Amino acid sequence: MPATLDERIDAAFVPGGRTVASDPYLWPFDGDLRPANTAIVVIDMQVDFCAPGGYVDSMGYDLSLTRAPIEPIARLLKVARAKDFTVIHTREGHKPDLSDLPANKRWRSQRIGAGIGDQGPCGRILVRGEPGWEIIPELQPVAGEAIIDKPGKGSFLATDFELVLRTKGIRNLVLTGVTTDVCVHTTMRDANDRGYECLVLSDCTGATKLENHLAALDMVKMQGGVFGAVAMSDALIAAIG
Amino acid sequence: METIAARPFAFAFDPSRVALIVIDMQRDFLEPGGFGASLGNDVSRLQAIVPATARLIAGFRAAGRPVIHTRECHRPDLADCPPAKRLRGAPGLRIGDAGPMGRILIAGEPGAEIVPELQPAPGESVVDKPGKGAFCATDLGAHLEALGITQLVFAGVTTEVCVQTTMREANDRGYECLIAEDATESYFAAFKHAAIDMMTAQGAIVGWATEVATILAGLEAAKASRRAEASL
Repeated sequence: MPATLDERIDAAFVPGGRTVASDPYLWPFDGDLRPANTAIVVIDMQVDFCAPGGYVDSMGYDLSLTRAPIEPIARLLKVARAKDFTVIHTREGHKPDLSDLPANKRWRSQRIGAGIGDQGPCGRILVRGEPGWEIIPELQPVAGEAIIDKPGKGSFLATDFELVLRTKGIRNLVLTGVTTDVCVHTTMRDANDRGYECLVLSDCTGATKLENHLAALDMVKMQGGVFGAVAMSDALIAAIG
Repeated sequence: METIAARPFAFAFDPSRVALIVIDMQRDFLEPGGFGASLGNDVSRLQAIVPATARLIAGFRAAGRPVIHTRECHRPDLADCPPAKRLRGAPGLRIGDAGPMGRILIAGEPGAEIVPELQPAPGESVVDKPGKGAFCATDLGAHLEALGITQLVFAGVTTEVCVQTTMREANDRGYECLIAEDATESYFAAFKHAAIDMMTAQGAIVGWATEVATILAGLEAAKASRRAEASL
């Protein structure tokens, strides 16, 4: 057993390991990229966020930005499933009695005319079980893929996400979904602090504002990869395909 | 604030900030022919606390205070079941295996349901937990924060396993914890007593213990003093 942290890092490197062409370093750091230790996380690809009539649409944002990742994610999932990578989906939503909805979150959503829990064009906005809360048809989970229902932006808070990851032996997380600057970033930061090796895919994520999408990706790459690395999905597919 | 008699010393009961947590009163643990019984346990010990637990729940409902139920169970695909937990079971009686009341400790199976006498009322939270503690991998902590809860009363089974783990988790998170001694039970009498002794030792190091009747009287007294204030 190597004694120091640096010796353990050296020992972790996989000779001739697999990495993805990513910025600002080749991910994962040690070349240990395998189906058994890597999960593709598809964040909040729900009607409310990326389909007409959903929460984001009702706030008046340009839907094409959050719909752009749909096709690249679908392409990636096809490869990842064929190679037996773990796929995990998340859904943001609240219990029908709103007992898990903080008062300030509801108040702020009401202020812009899309109150969480209120009737929207796709049922009650961001409420579990409503049509708007469902994952979009294009990216439906297949049998055996875990779905994490989360009341917050991050996927770790008030969920069993970390227990599911640990039980499956996952160390690497590939982050996709919406929105880049909100739920994807919070989840990536939470995961990074917990020691997970994270990769965010720039074409498999989207935000309600293009500048925020770009800035969020940029932030990941600062300080030598402060939250992990950034790549295009083709680079990942090339590495695992 | 009502001061009520408790071990190891009087508990400063605040009925305006308290919630009741009823742990794992599930068919698989309490009913003859369930998972607990199949392991050779005497389930009648656990069944004996159902009436006292029902009285405690009724008191909280009448006082308009939150009642939160927990169930130990796992996702049907066992994605949240650590292999170390599953493999400790005897072959054929492991989590996820077909048991006498459906798949053992799996969400949605009959054995995982709460016993009929203690069914949650509409609007009461039911926390499905994959571990012994109710805070691990659940939304319980966020839920209690949203409700502004500072004190927790505990009932349920088993005293030394899930009740004690949850009470320790809550204590470390800053909640004042009170266990209802006659609304909790273990398959092993000695373990129940040892667990409550551990909780209340060293100046209530994990929390306090008292009887259901004392807690109900505290809720009633608070109601009476609210009425008195309102009539002033």
